[in-house]
Amino acid sequence: MTWGEREPERVEERIRIEPDGTVVALSGKIEFGQGIRTAFAQLVADELDVPIEKVRVVLGDTDHVPHDMGTFGSRSVAQEAPLLRRAAAYARELRARGKPIEGAIPTDVRLRPDAERRYVGKPMPRLEARDIVTGKARFVADVRVPGMAYGAIVRSPVRNAPVRRVDDTTARAMPGVVAIVREGGLVGVVAEREDQARAAADAVEVEWGEAPPPNEQRWDVPIRDDKGVDEAITAAPTRLEAEYILPPISNAPIGPSAAVADVRADGAMIYAGTQRPFGLREAIAEALGFDEERVRILPQMPSGTYGRNSSGDAPYEAAILSKHARRPVLLQWTRVEEFAFAPTRPAAYLKVAAGLDANGRISAWRYDEHTNVHTGGGFDPRWGAEASGRNAEPHYRLPKARVTLHVEPTPLRTASFRSLAAAENVFAIESFIDELAHAARQDPLAFRLAHVEDPRLRRVTEHVAKSAGWGRAPGERRGLGIAATIYHGTYIAEVAEMHVAQNGRARLVKVWAAVDPGATLNPDGVRNQTEGGIQQSASWTLFEEIHHRDGRIANSGWDTYPIATFRDAPESIEVDVIGDPTKPSTGVGEPGAVCISAAMGNGIFAATGVRVRQLPMTPERVRG
Amino acid sequence: MRTTLRVNGVDREIDVPRRTTLLTALRDDLGLTATRYGCGAAQCGACYVLVNGRAVASCLLPVEQASGVEITTVEGLARDGDLSPLQQAFVEEDAMQCGYCTSGMLISATALLHADPRPTDAAIRDALAPNLCRCGVYTRAIRAIKRAAEAEAGGSVQATERSRT
Repeated sequence: MTWGEREPERVEERIRIEPDGTVVALSGKIEFGQGIRTAFAQLVADELDVPIEKVRVVLGDTDHVPHDMGTFGSRSVAQEAPLLRRAAAYARELRARGKPIEGAIPTDVRLRPDAERRYVGKPMPRLEARDIVTGKARFVADVRVPGMAYGAIVRSPVRNAPVRRVDDTTARAMPGVVAIVREGGLVGVVAEREDQARAAADAVEVEWGEAPPPNEQRWDVPIRDDKGVDEAITAAPTRLEAEYILPPISNAPIGPSAAVADVRADGAMIYAGTQRPFGLREAIAEALGFDEERVRILPQMPSGTYGRNSSGDAPYEAAILSKHARRPVLLQWTRVEEFAFAPTRPAAYLKVAAGLDANGRISAWRYDEHTNVHTGGGFDPRWGAEASGRNAEPHYRLPKARVTLHVEPTPLRTASFRSLAAAENVFAIESFIDELAHAARQDPLAFRLAHVEDPRLRRVTEHVAKSAGWGRAPGERRGLGIAATIYHGTYIAEVAEMHVAQNGRARLVKVWAAVDPGATLNPDGVRNQTEGGIQQSASWTLFEEIHHRDGRIANSGWDTYPIATFRDAPESIEVDVIGDPTKPSTGVGEPGAVCISAAMGNGIFAATGVRVRQLPMTPERVRG
Repeated sequence: MRTTLRVNGVDREIDVPRRTTLLTALRDDLGLTATRYGCGAAQCGACYVLVNGRAVASCLLPVEQASGVEITTVEGLARDGDLSPLQQAFVEEDAMQCGYCTSGMLISATALLHADPRPTDAAIRDALAPNLCRCGVYTRAIRAIKRAAEAEAGGSVQATERSRT
């Protein structure tokens, strides 16, 4: 099945009405802080004309929701909103006729006019907000099941090392130990208390074999390949080349991976923070030797993980522990495990060259992206360029261009991370556009606009420039930087005001953003997501780097992997949501994170004349 | 080891191994799961609780040292179903995304507002610097804390009424 391909939709798969009038909306998408539960509830409440309190949104429970590929790529609203709306509209029709809520949704189902909608388009606090502030909200590691025990894993020095020999004599006799588990390469302990499980895991002696060599796959994927690019660059009156480097970084959730597994002889319940409940169900069923129908995945609120939950490490481990211990098991990774054994966003090396004609316009463009896959699995040629080469092609008018993705091995396991490769590509492209503007002796905003053809991209770029007061001098050692992009149909432009101290320490002072995600369900939800993307990506930009040697990660805590704190937060992040209401809704979970690195680098250049082409932008690099 | 903890105004007896942390006792023995594990090294703030009104990392505090003090967790911030002005302000500003770190933020901010009812931006940033948030709601949380400070100073009556839902 490819993205977007679906069976005919049936109303009862998405909407149920309970005897007391509660409307249950079902979706295979997952909530992990991006606010889709609220957006979906707004949509369904409007279409069925009920108060939003009467809508219950069930997400990802594999026994109840329709099959779904997973929650990624900022596609939940774009994919699900039209389906849910049509299902709710048909349910309203059936309800009015006193018919049961079932049957195929007719293609010509009548939607309520936008003007009659009460909730959609209005700012709405998150439905979970009250439970979160009162502590009622249950995250994965907060699940408590009768008879539950606690697990801990004995980690190999390098992932996937085979087990040669296990000596559990000491561990077996320790207090609270329920089971010592060994299955394939997994060695773990189940105990009555978590501390007891950890202590016993430390006492298990394992002789590990050599880990298999890291992934050696290499792919060269042409994304755009016009003729005569090299010749055109060589012939151009002005030529420029640059290289940009990004280190591997960690998704670094505040809550480490966790899962609760209750594996019985005839089936299994898995409480997990997963982005792919059906993919996880398949994997767990295979690991346990069950038919898929015997495995139920109950997605729980996870700590935000920004893509890392596409991989199901903790649920798998908890399931194996539970199977052998014959008890429900809660497994939560330690902070050290979360840094050392979680997958990472791979390093990237971007090489770009371009020629400018006599009028200062780009005549030819050559771009080589070197990185590893940006997903959990191997490279899949069907969508590899869309993922690992995401946003490698600029959204500017380029008469000739060659854009190539080079997938190359890196020593660390890879995972999906917010916006995949778009963040690195847009950092390189939007920094280089700035460099070209200066080479052409043009204002970076004017240079961009001269190369923009898409009216919506022009609109967000002009809007953000106006909000930020583009053209003003923000003061001593301060500078404004601009960057823009289109991410999965969402248009976004950002301006960063940077301050650079004498010692080279760069600070993000203020941010302005303009975002056009088409028709907007929850404007404040859009603002919150965009602000968060900006804040998180500013942290990648200034602070973050995974250090590793021989395949082993050296970062073990927040002291060795610092992220932005309250002290680093900008004074303000002003997000203007200027969605074109005539256009389909598009996602906002990732776009905010995509262009801030370049805006910050461009702002540092404006402040000091130093061009930073390598992340993180440490004081040494910013001093030049 | 049997000991008594005074949590959210109630004495609770527990029987746990020696050197069990307050975090583990709260979560696994008392079922108060709003206090969360983040790092076990007092580096992230997810496990903060109020100990005699001060924000403290419960992940490093052994229960032996936690008896005889007044412990408040996020479950104890609301009174009879009324959100505290701070909780209310976090809801109104939507100062959260995934919500995992929100408990710790509320605890640090409660301690701050108690010590300094009208904090400056800088004081808020300093007081909450130990509370890491990966979703990036820092600017909203600062707004929420200022809003709560204003509500408490200016119109505590209105704030209480608003929070009754």
